[in-house]
Amino acid sequence: MLTGAVIGLGRMGLTHFSILNTHPQVNFVAVCDSSSFMLKKVAKHLNVRAYKNMGKMLEDVRPDFVIVATPTAMHAEAVKCAVACGAHVFVEKPFSLNPEQGRELCRVVQGKNLVHQVGYVNRFGDVFMEVKKLLDSEAIGNVVTFKVEMNGPTVLHGARGSWRSKTTEGGGCLYDFASHGVDLINYLIGPPARVLGAVLGRIYSEGVEDTVSATFVYEDGTRGNLLANWSDASYRKPTCHFEVLGRQGKIMANPYSYKVFFRKDPELEGFSQGWNERYFASIARPVRFFVRGFEFTRQLDYFIDRILEGRPSEVCSFEDGLEADLVIDRIRRNGENGGQAGG
Amino acid sequence: MEDKQVDRIIFGDNQFFGINHMSEERAQARAERFKDIGAIIDVIDNAYACGIHAFMFNTHDRVGELCDHFRAHPGRYRDLRLYPSMPYAHKYANAVNEKGMVGALNEFVLSGCSTGQVVSTLIRGGRTVIHRDMLEVMKLLVDLEMRMFRGLKVRAVFLQNIVTDLLLGFNAKEVFLEFCKHIKTSYHVEPAFITTNMPRLVSFLLENGIENPIVSAGINKTGFAMCPNQEQCERTLAEKSFRPRAMSVFYSGTIPPREAIEYVCGLPNIQSIVFGASSRQHIEHTREMIRSRWDLGAFLARPAAVS
Repeated sequence: MLTGAVIGLGRMGLTHFSILNTHPQVNFVAVCDSSSFMLKKVAKHLNVRAYKNMGKMLEDVRPDFVIVATPTAMHAEAVKCAVACGAHVFVEKPFSLNPEQGRELCRVVQGKNLVHQVGYVNRFGDVFMEVKKLLDSEAIGNVVTFKVEMNGPTVLHGARGSWRSKTTEGGGCLYDFASHGVDLINYLIGPPARVLGAVLGRIYSEGVEDTVSATFVYEDGTRGNLLANWSDASYRKPTCHFEVLGRQGKIMANPYSYKVFFRKDPELEGFSQGWNERYFASIARPVRFFVRGFEFTRQLDYFIDRILEGRPSEVCSFEDGLEADLVIDRIRRNGENGGQAGG
Repeated sequence: MEDKQVDRIIFGDNQFFGINHMSEERAQARAERFKDIGAIIDVIDNAYACGIHAFMFNTHDRVGELCDHFRAHPGRYRDLRLYPSMPYAHKYANAVNEKGMVGALNEFVLSGCSTGQVVSTLIRGGRTVIHRDMLEVMKLLVDLEMRMFRGLKVRAVFLQNIVTDLLLGFNAKEVFLEFCKHIKTSYHVEPAFITTNMPRLVSFLLENGIENPIVSAGINKTGFAMCPNQEQCERTLAEKSFRPRAMSVFYSGTIPPREAIEYVCGLPNIQSIVFGASSRQHIEHTREMIRSRWDLGAFLARPAAVS
């Protein structure tokens, strides 16, 4: 049985608590949050010890693992505290505020026998996992171009007051929303050699960007585009579309389904020349406990399995989190530089 | 007597609000088709004319408009029976993104107060959400969501799976008990739950003294979204004492209709099937498929109120 603690009781912290609180090998012992309301009024329904000070919590309960779901600006401190206590760490995305911080966190866990994972949940989505397998099989041949388009109605007013409206705390469309698209590109295609043409635009927000666009260029000539907009009221909820063209075919995917086109019969069972469509309902496997999406349970159960097996996380480690931070940083710097080549 | 009758077919509303679990394109097409409330009313009237007088509605803003329509035509919808499901989660999720958890709760709670209440709240030194007990906040939010159904006949109030399952993971016994108590004492109807974790929820409710609960869950031939697995869900249906209502039986059209209905109607103890459709032909077809397997008794013998 593993003991666990959650730092940060926002939407993700509560979701993670709920999912792992039902895991037969997990016993949550404490939670920590800076809000008195969350501690006094909400945490009491969780039947665990509640703390305002994470150092004190970690010292008192010495958990086997920690879930860090604070605003991004506090990830670094929380992760360092947890690792100093010898705890395995799952940290929400984006990994850190800047690559320096991310590198430091990678150094902190280096050489320690601890499982570390970042919450880029798309890597555990049923459709994107299949797309990854298809790409790895090279069934569509060498990748030529791709695009990731993300839209959602997340911010439709000039929001203030939340950490999400401050870049210095990890707010803004790039960190908070487009980071999923950046990681999906890293996961499916790989990190780019260069980022250019980056534009960070505002629609409603005052302190942060609401739209992100950027071109990714690779050494082998592959190129792709990231387009993200979290201020589009025509969407009911956030969406993510991925499209990739290879020399032998094409894949179009979203979290619910994907289509793959093959120029000729591929050597893949169940697929043939032309369009092949697959729906989520026929791909997704049930999980032991469901809250919000299969992928949320799958990523946490993977983290717990890896701790129990004494093996490192191979799907989304701190190094993967840092890779996303590096690309995010390039997009930001290139955007500030007017989207010039060379970013 | 009539109020004791079980609604064996309940018409669902996902199709009206751009929700489709199979295809974003199809969801988009539906959102376009049902842009005008008149288009939604046409489908509801078709269902009503087919003898389906029970409807499940999520507390989407547009359902408020529908309820206005029902109230404006009491004779036409004399026998209408509603099953609200709450909350409409995206409304809250977006507010939390913009204002943070406490800020969003505060806004919703204040929006639920009358002007007089807001003034007295401020005079009392900001008795905002921070000073309230979470159970009190939950009841205020329920009342807020229930407002749109005032004056209409409600049979049961469902807690949406996003909230049910989150609270189930917390083992938040008091919240479930308080929700049940509030729905029973304030609205004099039955509390009910939607879940994706049916076996676990049913055991939890029964262990905590919530007897013979109404539980709605995805139940379909392919086992999709039947967590932890289809076999345990089937065993729960056979062995536990509760009132199951099957949703997602066609799973957004991925299961052939006849096979889908044969599977669900062949399971033990299912009380009702919740399904949504957009055309009269589909509604009639589904109703007939269910009727050929279930004895619907007087349910469909009522004269159609809308012709």
